[in-house]
Amino acid sequence: MIRPHDSVIVHTLARVFIPIIQLFALYVLIHGHDSPGGGFQAGTLFAASFILPVIAFGIQGSLTVLERRAVILGGIGILLFAGIGLVPLLLGEEFLNYGELPIPGMEASAKRHLGILGIEIGVTIAVAATAVSIYYSLRERGEGEGN
Amino acid sequence: MADIVLYRPHFVAFIILFLLGIYIMVVSLNLIKKLIGMYLMQTSIILFFITLAVKKDSTIPIILSSTTAVTPEAYANPLPHVLMLTAIVVGVSTLGVSLAMVIALYRQYNTLEEDQILGKMQ
Amino acid sequence: MTSSLPGFLFAIPFFAAVVIPVVGFTNQKFCRPIALGALVSLSIVSVIGLSEVVSHGPLSHEFGGWAPPIGIEWVVDGLSGLLMVAISIVSLITLVHAGPLVEKELPGRVIPFYSLSLLLVAALGGMVLTGDLFNLFVFLEIGSLASYVLVGVAGGRSLHSAFRYLILGTIGASLYLLGVGYFYAETGTLNMADLAQRLPEVIDSRAVLTGLLFIVLGLAIKMGLFPLHGWLPDAYTYAPNSCTPLLTSVVTKVPLYAFVRIAFWVFGMTTVSTQIPILVVLGWVGAVAAIVGAYLAIWQESFKRMLAYSSVSSMGLFMLGFSLGTETGFAGGLFYVLADTLMKATLFGVAGAAFYQCGASTVTDLVRLRENMPWVSSALLISALSMVGIPPTAGFFGKWHLVVGALEAEKYFAVAAILVSSMLTALYFFRMFQRVWAETLPLVDPHVLETPFPIKMSLGVLTFGLIALGLGSDLVMGLIFESAIPKGF
Repeated sequence: MIRPHDSVIVHTLARVFIPIIQLFALYVLIHGHDSPGGGFQAGTLFAASFILPVIAFGIQGSLTVLERRAVILGGIGILLFAGIGLVPLLLGEEFLNYGELPIPGMEASAKRHLGILGIEIGVTIAVAATAVSIYYSLRERGEGEGN
Repeated sequence: MADIVLYRPHFVAFIILFLLGIYIMVVSLNLIKKLIGMYLMQTSIILFFITLAVKKDSTIPIILSSTTAVTPEAYANPLPHVLMLTAIVVGVSTLGVSLAMVIALYRQYNTLEEDQILGKMQ
Repeated sequence: MTSSLPGFLFAIPFFAAVVIPVVGFTNQKFCRPIALGALVSLSIVSVIGLSEVVSHGPLSHEFGGWAPPIGIEWVVDGLSGLLMVAISIVSLITLVHAGPLVEKELPGRVIPFYSLSLLLVAALGGMVLTGDLFNLFVFLEIGSLASYVLVGVAGGRSLHSAFRYLILGTIGASLYLLGVGYFYAETGTLNMADLAQRLPEVIDSRAVLTGLLFIVLGLAIKMGLFPLHGWLPDAYTYAPNSCTPLLTSVVTKVPLYAFVRIAFWVFGMTTVSTQIPILVVLGWVGAVAAIVGAYLAIWQESFKRMLAYSSVSSMGLFMLGFSLGTETGFAGGLFYVLADTLMKATLFGVAGAAFYQCGASTVTDLVRLRENMPWVSSALLISALSMVGIPPTAGFFGKWHLVVGALEAEKYFAVAAILVSSMLTALYFFRMFQRVWAETLPLVDPHVLETPFPIKMSLGVLTFGLIALGLGSDLVMGLIFESAIPKGF
């Protein structure tokens, strides 16, 4: 049980900022190719946009089932990244060689661009899910947190 | 000696931060302060790497047009930046694991000072 | 020649490590089959890799299709192939052994245990196979993070040791990264083969010397070389018994491999013994470590702490063997490393079995092994004899080749160190034999459990492996001489 914040400024600004943070995270993810940014940075921004409402508005009760299972989404994100990298290995080329992804009608440099975008999305999902699940598990009282 | 400070101030900054981080780790008894020292030391190494990437009159290493010829001297070296992105992620994960351990230690011994923890463990 | 086999050597344990939490949340019973299946396939693939290296030469794999020195290259040659086989087989056996122990010691944490153990194996494989210095740092840190958590996962007394291990291990990895930075600043490359070509021009610069010193210091912290071994006794003693066989048998050997790779393949044998004579210094450090570690082990009452100081002594012997400067010494050191993986896994496996069945933790408690535990006591006997160096176990042949190599190099302090540390090892192991077999048995305790089948099987395979490695030492030494010796001897 976390009490909501007292100040009305925090409440209003949180209401305004949460969607802006998420939009900015998407921008950082997609423009990671051409400007500073990329998967890890976007993932932490997403995680911040999930943690901010908890800090501002408080939360009652123990974790829901979905929050307890949030770490699975992290695993799925990593599987997405490693899976995109594994496809060229299974085809006989090298691991993480996005130029050899089996997509018809695209030249190698465009396929690399698409591959990198795909893995960055995987990284974002993984990082956001992991950071959020760390935060959720800290809220859980009673269970030891050795890991 | 003076020309090191004048022409290579980034190395001096790195050395000061590195030694400061190690000093904090060695001297502090509070676990969180030890972690602060550890992260400061890792950050100083990241600073050292980034300063290796700087060139005179260089810009960010993004090729904007595909028609003009590319001269490597006009762009900053992107490799140390990419390496340090990885190192930052490694440092953040280490910090996350260590903070989780500190929380578990606090729940167990109800204190964060290392001498009290050692005393309670006997 | 390029091959996709190294990619599979990474992909198999990594995918298993990531799939286990995702699948395990639905049903916890799936964790163990996935983990064991992944390790079995990893062992098969690594044996195939080693046989290909022996017949056709080194295999290389360029990640992302980018050719070195720009891209990251993974190389399976004689040394890394051999170590990869050792890592995969020993981790399979220790994970089989850990089955009953996990349910007893880590009740709610089965999923993290299997996932982290597989991640540790993937990281160790990555460290062994990579040909890029920064890639080695990344895998070093991944493996270290997994091992910090594995040491502390049981909570209780192990948390403080895990925290101390974390702080010291991170200092070590940061020093390694700093050394790599110095090399990059001087030569502009991170690829090991390319660095070996560019180093002779800049070998006299102070940056290269400082970089090498930082790397050696960082790796020495990671491998537990005396006097930088401070984290090792506590971490080995208080880590849960399900994790200790894996942690103690392979985790400290891979930073040693990294040091050997950098010293002998990147720098070259002549450079590190004459121009930058770190091998001379490390030879003395190894000799002191061997003697001091064995001496400190005599005074320990806790069985696992005794074995921890014994590990410190063994690490000194490895470093001594690699710094001798002769082919026989190098090959003897490598053979002793392989033998020691089996020996440590068996000894800590015995400690785990004794804990599981009757709660034994001190050396005097081990007397309970005499009641109804024939497999465990024979495993303890064979592995202790191997540590002391009695034929026909593998430990004898390892120490024999070390002594022959030292005599060839005319380094008599090394011969003295090996013999003195063996005598001290005999002292504390025979003291243990006396406590276990010569003292009177206390009253039979009805609460002693039966040895579970996985523990019996894993201890049996390890004991058989020790004797087989000893009897087949000619074959293994021939393999080492043919493909795992660096140039320049």
